[in-house]
Amino acid sequence: MKLPKFKYLEPTSVKEALSLLGKEGSAKLLAGGTDLLVNMKHKIETPSALVNIKRIEGLDYIKNEDGAVRIGALTSLKKISQDPFLKEKVPALVQAASKVGSYHHQSMGTIGGNICQQNRCKFYNQSEWWRSTNGPCLKVGGDICHVVGKKGACYSTYCGDLAPALLALEARIVLQNKKGVKEETLEGLFSGKGLAPLKMKPGEILTEVVIPEASLQGRSSYRKFANRESIDFPIVGLALWVSPEKKEYRAAFTAVDRRPLRARAVETFLNQKDLTEERIEEAGALASKGAQLVKTSLYTTAYKKKMMGILLKQALKETTRGYRS
Amino acid sequence: MKKVISLSINGDQYEVLVSPNQTLLEVLRDQLGLMGTKRGCDLGACGACTVLINGEAYLSCVMLAMDGVGKEIQTIEGLTQTRELHPLQEAFVKEGGIQCGFCTPGMIMTAQAILNEAEKPSEEMIKRKMAGNLCRCTGYKKIVTAVMSAAGQAGEEV
Repeated sequence: MKLPKFKYLEPTSVKEALSLLGKEGSAKLLAGGTDLLVNMKHKIETPSALVNIKRIEGLDYIKNEDGAVRIGALTSLKKISQDPFLKEKVPALVQAASKVGSYHHQSMGTIGGNICQQNRCKFYNQSEWWRSTNGPCLKVGGDICHVVGKKGACYSTYCGDLAPALLALEARIVLQNKKGVKEETLEGLFSGKGLAPLKMKPGEILTEVVIPEASLQGRSSYRKFANRESIDFPIVGLALWVSPEKKEYRAAFTAVDRRPLRARAVETFLNQKDLTEERIEEAGALASKGAQLVKTSLYTTAYKKKMMGILLKQALKETTRGYRS
Repeated sequence: MKKVISLSINGDQYEVLVSPNQTLLEVLRDQLGLMGTKRGCDLGACGACTVLINGEAYLSCVMLAMDGVGKEIQTIEGLTQTRELHPLQEAFVKEGGIQCGFCTPGMIMTAQAILNEAEKPSEEMIKRKMAGNLCRCTGYKKIVTAVMSAAGQAGEEV
């Protein structure tokens, strides 16, 4: 399958990359390429230029600074999944990285690229030929979203594995643009809109992910339910972070909405209270509260809702083993 | 715009004229005649196009050829520099890890990437890391046995 034509640029510094992004109208950043190049082969993403940032030195690191963990945007998923410090302190992130695609995708893919991946939908991630029978959907320049049969909004789903783990860890991101460097919450990166899932402005680069010190003290895990363990995107994914001593809980889902979603109803219900079997059951019933589920995959929304509860209950039981009364 | 790039493949330098939108797989097969690397799904989902980039398993169908500049690329043709079979190839033959053979180069390159990482990978590790390489003849059991055998763990329970 031939890639469409594009201009290819290889900056060697963030500054050069930012200046190139400014000059090219619809340029896209290329890191691991395992999401973007597939979409380009399907002609659902057709940037005028690709800015390959992998030649930029110094964006591939995992370091401890003032108690927080800082991870360079070009750090590979494989490196994250094998890091002994991360394994001990933030197992949810390590588990998520080791569940992305296949071994190959983990060697090629980066943390920055995984976070910034495109949303997915059964009407969108298809070949040009397949899509031609329905006519173009909203996300590729058409009038209506085929999922809901309406104009106005695109309901494609965010399916990244790392984002929920990082949301549960309350991670922050470092964005660079021509004006300078800013650190923001990761949660704020996601727009909740299918058409443009990220709030990043053109000409901005995500350069670093920061996990705050407080999140290193706690237990965490990531669970992924997918068609095949080997390669698929999640049908539902859940990350849970728990501080048993402080009785604090943070849960985040993926593949259930247009953005990765913190399960705040669950968190409010669980925080500061003793966790009993009954309360775990009740939390499970709250799992899908706040998620705007639509049928963007082959799975029904009712099925996904049920799975959200099941994954949450499993995770709560396992993550708090030895701490429950 | 087309550009002449220099690629280091199996220890040899190749000067090739390529377009930005050519994948490494296209250049390997269509321009350099290195047909050992297979074009399967061409969407990064089957593992047939696996090559080693600086010793790690990469999918050459979702990697730009221009991205390969300055990296050590290894294909199935360069697994061994002698006329003898590589121990992995020998193990695949001996254990019957080959049926139609289409997935074999990708399987072997992925296995090599695993062995680059761990001298004695467990059966579980082999199964997990090779899960992205599909064999439609479904000869998985013998493939895993072959990799175990090449890693010097022949005869262990598989």
